[in-house]
Amino acid sequence: MSAPLIQNESFVKVAAPLAVGVLFLLIWEIAVQALEMPKYILPGPIEIFKALIDGWQPLLGALYITLKVTFLAFLIAVVLGVAASLLFVQSKWIEMSLFPYAVLMQVTPVVAIAPLIIIWVDDTTWALTVCAVIIAIFPIISNTTLGLRSVDPNLLSMFRMYRTSRWQELVRLRIPGALPYFFGGLRISSGLALIGAVVAEFVAGTGGAKAGLAYMILQSGYNLQIPRMFAALLLITLTGIALFALMVWLSDRALRNWHESALEVEH
Amino acid sequence: MTSSKVTPLKATPVDTSAAAQAHTDSNGNPRPVLQVEGVNKIYANGTVALKGADLTIRQGEFVSLLGPSGCGKSTLLRIMAGLGDVTTGTVRFWEQGYDVVGDKGRKLAFVFQNATLMPWARVRKNVRLPLDLEHQSGAETERKIDDALEMVGLKGFDNAFPRELSGGMQMRASIARAMVTEPNLLLMDEPFGALDEMTRNKLNDDVLKLWQKNGWTIVFVTHSVYEAVYLSSRVVVMAARPGRIVDDISIDQPFPRNSDFRVSTEFAGYCRQVSQALERASAMGQPQEVKA
Repeated sequence: MSAPLIQNESFVKVAAPLAVGVLFLLIWEIAVQALEMPKYILPGPIEIFKALIDGWQPLLGALYITLKVTFLAFLIAVVLGVAASLLFVQSKWIEMSLFPYAVLMQVTPVVAIAPLIIIWVDDTTWALTVCAVIIAIFPIISNTTLGLRSVDPNLLSMFRMYRTSRWQELVRLRIPGALPYFFGGLRISSGLALIGAVVAEFVAGTGGAKAGLAYMILQSGYNLQIPRMFAALLLITLTGIALFALMVWLSDRALRNWHESALEVEH
Repeated sequence: MTSSKVTPLKATPVDTSAAAQAHTDSNGNPRPVLQVEGVNKIYANGTVALKGADLTIRQGEFVSLLGPSGCGKSTLLRIMAGLGDVTTGTVRFWEQGYDVVGDKGRKLAFVFQNATLMPWARVRKNVRLPLDLEHQSGAETERKIDDALEMVGLKGFDNAFPRELSGGMQMRASIARAMVTEPNLLLMDEPFGALDEMTRNKLNDDVLKLWQKNGWTIVFVTHSVYEAVYLSSRVVVMAARPGRIVDDISIDQPFPRNSDFRVSTEFAGYCRQVSQALERASAMGQPQEVKA
């Protein structure tokens, strides 16, 4: 019975990492209990789970704030990033003049400029969003620009033979061809938007009703509520995984008919 | 966008005689479709890709360009398509005894070495691309697409994606795409080079049939002597370094041709003649002296 299941790749793909995770949690819990580790230094998984259940209301509220900033930033990064790419491919001159600034934005640590942004932007949510956009936008710009440029030269010749307008060339040739690259950028960028939202909040140190998960972590740290700190961390991680999975699903849906990356390998 | 030197841009009557109107010139030859006159192509690094190329393609001909690699046969074909600049010389298109008519009058189609299909689009969408680009639509357009798909043997594959097709079938889709515009001139750049021999022979036969049936004019680049002789009414042999036309051999054998022709003594004779011309051309292209 078990032999065919072990040979089933999609089963192993889920089961193997799951087994590792369960094993890890088990060792963790046993070690914490055996060593009688105080929970303000290292709580066991059960303790963390309890903190998650007990504190679900503030945690969920904080999650909502973080999610809001993440999605807002991600959306803005996608719109602005794609717009910038479309601008870049219009002429080599535009790209040469502006691309270094996109790189500049990418290499400047957001932690270093976050205090400035917080001074300039009154509303906390928007200040955090701006920081997250700065982090998340670069992969979209660079990937989409690369995709828009990576056109089969023969197809391009053909379009030119038929005296196609630049608009037609863009819509019929460049944009569809750039989709795999764009979705690649999306995967990276979604994770970065979350990281940006969390990092910015650490720096900004929001408080009160508008506090997100990062602030929850800080606050729990001050109060030595270490289990809740872990619970908040767990929520951030789960959010990241969910975002990534969503992007993979989206890209799969969009490309599965034609692109190699979305093809199912037959055995 | 492309800055090909196709001259002149306005309609100039060159030969309004009855003969020209009747699709033949004063010598009784079919009227020219395209004339390449004294075309030189020199790349920025000094490489002479084409030197003094003169070539007249006439209505209904099947002309093969044959030569060793680097002889500029693909360059010449691309220049004919308006896809490349010429350094000096002219490329002239003719229609109904008139110098054509600028870009609009140049109804030609190009079949590339690879099928060059849009991987994200289904076969029908790929085939209709030239019509889409010309903003054609309606029942007549759909009929043209149906006809093209049927003629290349892809009827019923409308909704397949290119990756679901074999190499030969992808090439068929590519040919169907070239057909839909009903071009005056079909330019093919080693279209079957990447295919296995059986598929290639089959496609050769099919292209010949379509050529005869539709009265096409085809310029076909190949490096296979057998393919050139089998298909062509004329084989133009080119030499390399610099790329130039060195021989122009008529294959005076009737069409339709079939596998009987492949094993005939006439076929063997022409193959020998063309091979010898190709050998001479290859010898010309060898570096004559070695610089120390």
